[in-house]
Amino acid sequence: MNLAIDLDCCTGCGACVEYCPGHVLALDDQGRPFEKHPDDCWYCGVCQVECPAECIEVVFPYLIR
Amino acid sequence: MSPHEPVRGDFLIIGGGAAGCLAAVRARELNPDLEVVVLEKAHLSRSGAAGRGMDALNNVVVPGVGTVEEYIEAVEIMADGVFEPTVSRVIGQRSFGILKRLEDWGLDFPRGEDGGYIVNQFHPKGRFLVEMRGELKKIVAARTLEAGARVFNRHVALRLIKEGPSIAGAAALDLKSGLIRAFLAPAVLLAAGGAARIGLPNTGYLHGTFDCPWCNGEAHWLGYQAGARLTGFEYTGCSSMTRDFNGPGLSTFIRHGAWLVNGLGERFMERYDERLERAPAGVRMKAMREEINAGRGPVAFSFSHLPPETIELIESGIFEAERPTMRDYFRAKGIDLKRQPVEVVTSEVYLCGGHGLAGLVGDAWGQTSVPGLFAAGDCLANPYGFLPGAMALGEAAAERVVELNRPRPGGGAAAGVLEELEKAAARHRRGGLAVPVRDFEYKFRRLVNEYVAPPKSGPKLQRFLDETESLVRDQDDLPAGEPHELMKVFEAKAGLFCARLAARASLFRTESRFGLYHQRVDFPEKDDAGWRTRVIISPGPDGPVLAKEKS
Repeated sequence: MNLAIDLDCCTGCGACVEYCPGHVLALDDQGRPFEKHPDDCWYCGVCQVECPAECIEVVFPYLIR
Repeated sequence: MSPHEPVRGDFLIIGGGAAGCLAAVRARELNPDLEVVVLEKAHLSRSGAAGRGMDALNNVVVPGVGTVEEYIEAVEIMADGVFEPTVSRVIGQRSFGILKRLEDWGLDFPRGEDGGYIVNQFHPKGRFLVEMRGELKKIVAARTLEAGARVFNRHVALRLIKEGPSIAGAAALDLKSGLIRAFLAPAVLLAAGGAARIGLPNTGYLHGTFDCPWCNGEAHWLGYQAGARLTGFEYTGCSSMTRDFNGPGLSTFIRHGAWLVNGLGERFMERYDERLERAPAGVRMKAMREEINAGRGPVAFSFSHLPPETIELIESGIFEAERPTMRDYFRAKGIDLKRQPVEVVTSEVYLCGGHGLAGLVGDAWGQTSVPGLFAAGDCLANPYGFLPGAMALGEAAAERVVELNRPRPGGGAAAGVLEELEKAAARHRRGGLAVPVRDFEYKFRRLVNEYVAPPKSGPKLQRFLDETESLVRDQDDLPAGEPHELMKVFEAKAGLFCARLAARASLFRTESRFGLYHQRVDFPEKDDAGWRTRVIISPGPDGPVLAKEKS
């Protein structure tokens, strides 16, 4: 996983899902975002800057951290 | 409207990045009645190689600073003489207008002490890089929507549709619904980016690439299948890339005067080229590779000789305008540009018309040899056109489309194309190969690293072509249960297509050129008499036909 999504802070607005250029994120049955296709992430940070409640942080994988 | 009904328009744009957006805006400016349709694989606000941001316009002929002729001369040096100047001339001529347009739209072009734009040197000669700040893609996307373009986000173009010799539209997959639908128009612009996922990064991450990983040669493949010609595929580019992180920095570091140093602290470019870090990219990369191979690594960009205000400008560019996650990465690694060098590695090889020579062949309007089919941006051979090149050719294509005012196609050819694609999708749902597309992609990219990436040789290149023949046979049975997977399969097929053409073109050019990028150990010398010419790849009845361009 490449993202730390604080679900207590998330409002479920879906902006991260909408804007992610890699189609990485999706909303689950309860309307909460998750990384459906984590391998397609470029760590570009669009989700992080687009989240209006600032609930997302890019976490680099251990292999490259 | 039923989702099975075709969408009709006058100008279909495949890819809503910088080139596609500027084409849409320009077309609607010239003819507000023109129905412009944009197919975007991601979301228009954040798509394309510059989707997160960009800290400079890389090639602007600023009046009083440079001339179009000087710009063309600089590009010819970067292209090592294998150069057709038509497209570069258009970029040079239009570049300042692009800057003024972006400034008018609200992009910030910081001013230097003299009150003018901050223009620095990256090219081997001349100053063409203009510092820029602001949320580029959000602004450009908003203007595209304001102009009245009809945008279909999360739509992947899978095939071009032709009627007779002419273009008639495209069939595209809706990632949300999974439906494949026809989009009909008498003019189509391919603006879907370069081919980033050709070689494999040393991190092993399929998407950990230097260039935008969501563009993988689909435009090249679509264009070629429709009859368009390609060039420059032997120019297998790679870049210096921050170790383990695919973030920006290369042109930012060089234009602000950073030094490349080896593990001994030597500014090693002094031994290779009098232009030092501003040598053509392939020369710089060859020097880097030689230092590393000689055991003098690690190689790094060093900043400690620069004044603090220059380092702050670098930081604001890469951290704020372009990639905030790079700040996070540097922080996590404890890297402070004022104190430490930034280690760089040679990236995987890629094919990119705006960063090198590989792409579709187009004229001064990006017009291909297929009537009604245009190309712009990183899928067009627009040598080192970078961001302004994409925008300039997007605008130029739009002007030609408006001028030609071709009649709308009847649409009779769409049904057959849709049926064929539905059959192919059903075969992928069955997935007879039972190998995940990730493994398939990893395999051919590992083979690219072994056999196609420089240094090259005839036996290695031929081995790649032989070894990947079975992959070509297998690819139509790759499993894809849902639309996202179908997109990944399509991207992998396009990438393999491009990689095989890169091998063919590299075999064809029996000399060494472009520094590291086309270093043939079996033909180590540059042969200007025989090879100072582009290699053109045309679709033939029995496969690709390669030929030297007739001057």
